[in-house]
This record gives sequence, C-alpha cells and structure tokens, in this order.
Amino acid sequence: MYRYDTYDKAMLTDRSNEFRHQVARRLAGEITEDQFKPLRLMNGLYLQLHAYMLRIAIPYGTLSTRQLRRLAWVARTYDKGYGHFTTRTNLQLHWIKLRDAPDVMDALAEVDLHGIQTSGNCIRNVTADPYAGATADEVDDPRVWAEVIRQWSTVHPEFSYLPRKFKIAVTASAKDRTAARSYDIGLQLRRDREGQLSFEVMVGGGQGRTPYLAKTIREHLPADRLLSYLDAIIRVYNRKSRRDNIHKQRIKILVATLGQEEFARQVEAEWAKIEAGTVDLPDTELARIRGAFRPRAFETLASASKAFEAAKADLAFARFARHNVKPHKVAGYAIVDVSLKAPGETPGDCSSEQMEALADLADRHSFGEVRVNYTQNLVLPHVKLDDLPELYAGLKAVGLATSNIDLVSDIIACPGLDYCSLANARAIPVAQAIALRFADPERAETIGELKIKISGCINACGHHHLGNIGILGVDKKGEEFYQLSLGGSGDNDASLAEILGPAVHFSRTPEAVDALVDTYLSHRRDGERFLDTYRRIGLKPFKEAVYANAD
Amino acid sequence: MKVLTANSLATGEVVFWSRGRWAKAFADGERFADEAGAGTALAAAESQSTIVVAAYLIDVEEVDGHWVPVSYRERIRALGPSNTPQHGKQADGDADVAALVAATFAARSTGRVKLIKR
Ligand code: SF4
Repeated sequence: MYRYDTYDKAMLTDRSNEFRHQVARRLAGEITEDQFKPLRLMNGLYLQLHAYMLRIAIPYGTLSTRQLRRLAWVARTYDKGYGHFTTRTNLQLHWIKLRDAPDVMDALAEVDLHGIQTSGNCIRNVTADPYAGATADEVDDPRVWAEVIRQWSTVHPEFSYLPRKFKIAVTASAKDRTAARSYDIGLQLRRDREGQLSFEVMVGGGQGRTPYLAKTIREHLPADRLLSYLDAIIRVYNRKSRRDNIHKQRIKILVATLGQEEFARQVEAEWAKIEAGTVDLPDTELARIRGAFRPRAFETLASASKAFEAAKADLAFARFARHNVKPHKVAGYAIVDVSLKAPGETPGDCSSEQMEALADLADRHSFGEVRVNYTQNLVLPHVKLDDLPELYAGLKAVGLATSNIDLVSDIIACPGLDYCSLANARAIPVAQAIALRFADPERAETIGELKIKISGCINACGHHHLGNIGILGVDKKGEEFYQLSLGGSGDNDASLAEILGPAVHFSRTPEAVDALVDTYLSHRRDGERFLDTYRRIGLKPFKEAVYANAD
Repeated sequence: MKVLTANSLATGEVVFWSRGRWAKAFADGERFADEAGAGTALAAAESQSTIVVAAYLIDVEEVDGHWVPVSYRERIRALGPSNTPQHGKQADGDADVAALVAATFAARSTGRVKLIKR
C-alpha cells in the first residue's frame, strides 16, 4: 500500500497545526463564523443537525488495518463508537465536537488520513475499483493511477476553487464497479493489442437535480498522458463553466450545453497547448508509485479447496459463499464482500468493535488490507479459499456475515433527515423497513439481483437515479413522501431511473416496493434480473401495481 | 408559539434558549407568545457568537398536552436520529423526552398532523 512520503506528511502536519489555531481563534471569538466556516469545510468538518460531522477521505477506498484500527479508536474516543461509510467511499463521523476536532485530525494524520478536499469546490477524493489488485479481469491496478491523481489533485492551486465540486473515478476492469458514468470524469483503463495502456475518458456524468451519464470524449488516451489531459479538461471547465447559478455549475451542464463533440474539441485544443513533459508524470515517479501496489506474496495453491467445499454443508455458509465470495485472479484465493447491510441496521454503519474485528481478520486472512465499496459495503480482497470458513465464523461473531450482496436488502441509503441538514426526508428508516420486509434470505435469493438506492433529497448522495428501484425523499406539505423510480443502473449497462408516478407516503413505501417486486416476479422470464424484466416490459405494469389501490 | 434554538459552537449540540441561558432539553426551552419577545431573544443569541452558531426561531404547538416543534426536522433535532434511539437527547429517556417521543412522528412542518410514522 502507498504510504505518505515526507511531502505528504509535512503538508498534513502543517494543515493540522493551522486548523488547531483556526479553531482556537474561532472559540475565542477572534474570527467570525462566516470567516471560520470555509476553513473548517476545507478540512471536512460540517455542522449537521445534532453535531459536527467529520468526513474522512479514504483514497480509492483502500484502508490498511492500522488505519482501520485508528478509525475505530477515533470513533470510540471522540464519537459514539461507530462510523458511517458513504457512497463516495469516505467515512463520516456524525457526533464530533468542534473542540475535539484538532485532536481528531492529529490522530488521523498519524496514519495518513484526513478530511482535506472532502468538501468545497475542488477535486474530491478519487475512487477506484474496490476489487483492485484482486480481480482477474483488470488490465492494471487502477489504484496506481488513482494515487497519481491523488498526488496531482491534492491542494492543486489552480483547481482549488472550481465552479463546483469535482469527482473522478478510475477502473481498470471490463466490469465497472465504481459507477464511473456518474462521475465528473470516469476513467476506464484498457490495454490495446500492442500491450499499451490507454484510458477511455468519460466526462460530464453526475446525479443531483439534473442527472447525466458521462459521455466518452476520448476512446484511447495514452495512459502516460493522463495528467496533462485531466489538466486540459478541468481548465476548459474552470474557464467556461457558469458561476452564476449553483444548479448549473457542474461540468455535466457544460458538456450538455456545448455538446460532447464541441467539448471534446475544446479539450483537445487546450491539451495541445500544454507542453509535453511539463505536467505528465515522469516514468521514474510512476514506477515509484507502482512499487507501492506490488502484487501481494500469494502462495501457490490448488484452485479448489476441500475445506471450503466441505463447509458448504452449512447452508448459511453456502449462502455466504454464493453471494459474498467472488473469484480472485490467483488460484486458491477469493475476494470477500463484507455487507454492512444487516436487515434493520443502518446501511453503511460500522461500529468500532466491528472495525477492530475486521482489522484482525484482515491481518490474519487478507494481507492486512480492507477496501470500501461505494455500495456502502467493505471488501477483504485477498482471502485463501481454505480460510473462508474461519473468516466467516469471525465475521458472524461481530454481525458482519450478512449474505446479501446485490440482493434486495443490500440497500444504499444516505444519512437523510436523521443527520443531514440538507435533507427533505429520512432515508435510513425507509431502508430499514424495506430490508426487514425482505429479511428472509430465501425470499431475497428468489428475487435475485435488485439494487435499491435511497436519497433524502435531490442531491442524490444515495444514488437514487442509479437504483433498479430508486427512492427519493421529498417534503410534501411537511410530510415525508417518497418518489419511486425504476430502471437505473450504475454498472456497465448504466442508465438513469425513470419516475414511476406520484410520490408515496413514508408508511406506504415498503409495501410499494413489495408491489414492484411482485410485479417483477410475475413477469420474469428465466434468468432475468429485476432490471432485465423492467427493460423488457417497461414502466406500465409496475405503475399499475403500485397505484392500483391508491386513494 | 415560538422557541429559539441553535447549536453549541464548541460541541455542535442542539440547544434551546431559556431566559438568557441555553438549555439542552427542548422541554426547558422558553416559549414566546409574541414576536417582540422572540425577536429580542434572537438578537441576544446572535450576539453570543462564541457560544452558539446558527440561532433561529422554530414554531411549536401543543399536542395532547405537550409542547412539540411543528416540523419533523425540528423534532428530530430535539430528540436525535430516529434510526438510533440510543443516540442524542432521546437517550436520556426522562419524562419530557418520553412525551416528545410520544407526540413525535405525528409531525408536520405545515398543514396536517400525525402523519409521520415512527
Ligand atoms: S442526498 Fe441529500 S439528504 Fe442525503 S446525504 Fe445527500 S444532501 Fe443529505
């Protein structure tokens, strides 16, 4: 794993000291709230409904067990003993006190963690495939490139005050596990016939009030020209984007306004002006970064494991193996998805005890590495098949063995009105109610892949536009209502969900989802997922089912 | 009727104005029947910038003999998050909190009452 070098460490120490003084001056009344607010936001500290919230960046979703243990300790010492993993693969602590925040930042800085660029109109934490370095279908480790982008974008002077926030995702697999098309820039790494690495560059995706899927503006960007090309894109954006209307300042609006071709033309023209070798990374530096992501010392093992197969006699374990265990690139190993979606629990929440137990398990079984998936689940990337029964027992002991990855109860939900000051309605209790309704694992398995995504407001942190069933909380005359939409996907077959009809009341939302599921089951053809059936039969039958008994 | 609320600067905790001081429990918050009294309190709160942030007035109403905030956003602020009853002010579980919980999730920000289910 990449460890911060002396530059990174010096920057973090300086920032921590600076922030400590800023907090002291604010508490003493030497600076006003208006002066202080942008400073605390630059360090990821928000004020929410009940307390301050600290958003901690987890670059490309990769955590060492040392970092995870420190997060557990910080959550226990300064918060209420848990953290909330988000769709941006960040960790949010929802009960931080301003007077403790400088100590929290120091404790995080010791393990190369911080909240810098988790707020504000800058380049935010870069995300990458959570299966990086473990999946067989990748052409390179995308974290190498994500780390390159992290270094380039961290406190980048030219790009610290963009028109709006800016998010980049990197994947190097044919199968997209980052929702790249919903990003300001999505990067898909490929290897051509000559063995050269190149990026497909997708620009202008985004959710929120006006959702767009990113458009490809370049099919094959030589990988070693990545940074200069990113520079060109963001320069065009920085110069041309509107700054007069907060709803029109994301790059998606600029791309949609100019059109994909004209935007691409302007980027190419800008790119041509950048002198070769001034921005792109020298090979030596790339090699240094690559060195931090060297493949692990995998053992030579048989591709099948007797212990693993025998353990499947336990039906619960067999279910875990079916849903949470994925193929690894090395024979005898597996990728294990750890669900943070036990029915009835808050999606994405993880207690300090669970973090510590997971860190111990990762040390024992996964080369000390844990990943965060944007689906608000965690991943142990490198587990021996032989170790799976023991790992399962360890996960089960701390309530982390829920076998529901990509099933109906694996719901994305943003914090919503229970925490977030921007919310219109709650999201978590809706997720809890739906997950409990489908808590029977056999029923969930019969239903198959079904991705439900819930946001508490139009900002769409809960990815409702990309849900097979998307749910958006709205405030209707002071009551919590939920707008349902169908057919979204954040995967390779990305699509935006279509609104079903009038919003339904909080109390009716779980039964409406039930009606949608029943409709799917009654129309489904062999092997179809919810999304396939929806795409074949369209909105109408679902609409009829949900609104049949509406008053 | 109105109540004046804010967040404590140092801790972020939700607080309620109570005759020149800040109380932690909604039930201890002072209720203003007239605009003038509420306005004076708000002006006083705004001058306490090293004690609280984001002071503002909220509407409250009487439901079954207990005073509660009108909007469900404010009820969640007065109680804590509904997904974790062990967190926030609701965790104290005293009689006033119990009354608020009982009345709550029958909330609205305008219009009708008793439609938000727990
Ligand atoms: S979608 Fe809205 S309610 Fe949910 S976390 Fe984002 S801003 Fe808050």
